[in-house]
Amino acid sequence: MVISPVHYIALPLLAAFLMPLLAKVNRELVRIIPGVVLTYLLFVSVVLMQRVTETGQPIIETLAGWQAPWGINLVFSQFTGFLVSLMVFMATLIWIFSYRFKKVDNEPALKYYILFMMLVTGSVGVVLTGDIFNMFVFMEITAIASYSLTSFYRDRDGAEAGFKYLLIGSLASTFMLLAILLLYTQVGTLNMAMIAERMHTVPVGMKVTILILFLTGLGIEAEMFPLNGWAPDAYSQAPSPVGATFAALVVKAGVYSLIRVIFTLFDIQGAYQYLIIMGIITLIIAEFAAMKQTNLKRMLAYSSIGQMGFVLIAFGIGTKEAVFGALFLMFNHAIIKSLLFMSGSFFVYNSTSKDINGMSGIGKKFPYMGFLFSIGAFAIVGLPPFSGFWSKLYILIAAADESMLALVAIILLVSIVEIVYYFRVVAKLYFGKPTDKEVVHKPTFGGYFSMTVLAVVILLVGFYPDIITGFIHRAADTLLDKGAYISNVLSMGH
Amino acid sequence: MKRAFILLLLVVVGWVLADTFSQINFGESRMGDIKQQETVGAYYLNNTVEKLSVANVVTAIVVNYRGFDTLGEVTVLFLAASGLASILYRRKKRGEHDVMILKNSSQLLQTGAKLIFPAILVLGAYVFIHGHLTPGGGFQGGAIIASGFLLMFMAYKDYHVSHNVLTWVESIAGILFVSVGIWGLISGATFLENILGTGTLNDLVSGGIIPLIYIAVGFKVAAELTGVLETLLNFKTEK
Repeated sequence: MVISPVHYIALPLLAAFLMPLLAKVNRELVRIIPGVVLTYLLFVSVVLMQRVTETGQPIIETLAGWQAPWGINLVFSQFTGFLVSLMVFMATLIWIFSYRFKKVDNEPALKYYILFMMLVTGSVGVVLTGDIFNMFVFMEITAIASYSLTSFYRDRDGAEAGFKYLLIGSLASTFMLLAILLLYTQVGTLNMAMIAERMHTVPVGMKVTILILFLTGLGIEAEMFPLNGWAPDAYSQAPSPVGATFAALVVKAGVYSLIRVIFTLFDIQGAYQYLIIMGIITLIIAEFAAMKQTNLKRMLAYSSIGQMGFVLIAFGIGTKEAVFGALFLMFNHAIIKSLLFMSGSFFVYNSTSKDINGMSGIGKKFPYMGFLFSIGAFAIVGLPPFSGFWSKLYILIAAADESMLALVAIILLVSIVEIVYYFRVVAKLYFGKPTDKEVVHKPTFGGYFSMTVLAVVILLVGFYPDIITGFIHRAADTLLDKGAYISNVLSMGH
Repeated sequence: MKRAFILLLLVVVGWVLADTFSQINFGESRMGDIKQQETVGAYYLNNTVEKLSVANVVTAIVVNYRGFDTLGEVTVLFLAASGLASILYRRKKRGEHDVMILKNSSQLLQTGAKLIFPAILVLGAYVFIHGHLTPGGGFQGGAIIASGFLLMFMAYKDYHVSHNVLTWVESIAGILFVSVGIWGLISGATFLENILGTGTLNDLVSGGIIPLIYIAVGFKVAAELTGVLETLLNFKTEK
């Protein structure tokens, strides 16, 4: 069996169906199996990335033996491969982090690991697939796993957050399905490359309607304003590793699908301006909302939305440098926000309330955790020696190159807001008066391990951005080369 | 004021959608000219019988051409069932009864259910075993079987389906589906490729892996929907 992209989907599914049986054999297997699968997928990522980088050609895998337009295919290009590898890497770390999750109760643990693994598979599938309806199916897998994980703790707030997410998410699926239906009546195919090829035959009015339906449906998953009402609740009520998964994987899949639709499927120029405008609104509103939050996880959630707005702006500029910056920011956001969620969850765990005020002085009790959180906070606002600095810089340069100076000003101003609310937390951690509560929950070994790895990656990329920029440059080139995408996928059939 | 705006918004959205959909001539052949193989639909209609020996083209599309989607849909159902079970999960207290229906149902329903139940199971099995020949298939057959169990739940207040059995059926059916796919990979073809001989049209054993997959889907859907019913029935709110 040659290593191929379908392993990303087939093996987690096989494992998920096996797990209820294996749980009867040994309780520990439930925890080990997802890790084994994810580690193997990490290995697959390395092998495939190497192959793609060497040949410079994407790997296009046909499924069920039917060539491009008739059947479904998976596309592992330098762009999708980069995102998939990032997702699998993050998922593995999050698995290590949550290894001892729900140690006392076995039945919920089984469900948790199945849902978590499917969340990963769904996000990876969205990125890998070359078929628009298949993308919808993977969106559904991701969404349904997310709903259940959001209300996993089964308290009142969790149920509310889960229900809200369920309602908005169902609306998103409906819009996306309508868009796909309309698209099929116009072009007679579901293959994305062939849709892109035939798009010029679609009447403009129809094209715009379809695009709007897509933007609404996918914008909900990508946390675009004003469709992101579910996000703060979902992030703050879900278990912490799930919050990290949302930031590192699910949102990335949402943004990817939005970008794929706008960059590859449609040829409407106005869509780019639309991205910039929605991005700016999302960024400004989310960052100001984050400043007002007293709950740490909600603050992180709003900050996450803001970062996605930033990513949308960068994609909207649309030049090669800007797309490079956007992908770099997506990478940074995945590692940094996960670190913040992981370390932040221990502060929440150790304080009486979820409030930032309840965490005063906790950095003295947990010097190492405080240190990690501070690295995350400094990196995400874009201070120089950390990785977040580079992505912000590249996006600013790209904006300045297009002489969008107002945009540069807005981004810099919003950065100040960002600095204010992150530094407020860091200051509270170190200089606040410690509460004399002595209930101390120490992180597990796995927790220490994955957080340390993330912090090291942040510093490493901060000092030597070259280790990652090569991949991102090639990813950006691949994304922008629409002609190559079409010819690569369709030439398989002829 | 706010309501007026919402109404206005709904009218605008509704108008745009109605306008767009009115441009599609529903009822006319949207498959394109069958002789010009421009759309994938035309290709499926022209080639399925010849290449796959499957009389039901819809089944061929669902299980073979787009079998990967079906695997995804099966997973969606599996996740919905697992998610429901995790949200409604509660550790049982000792000596607690499972079902909270207090009254027996009528004699009529009880006798009728006993009579019809096996027939429903047979019908469900028939529908998914003949999925590649007649209308219907794994999802429909599975749903029919689950409806039979629903009837039993309603008729007998302590009718009980073992969760263990459901888990086994569900898992083995899922594993079978993925394994058929991986079998294709191992034998050097692609994932989910139809590697068995397709046989002659309209035979029960024809269409290669299509009936195999649909039987697995049938069992899986039946077990999952029954499991959902069982979970919902056993859920009690604390008073």
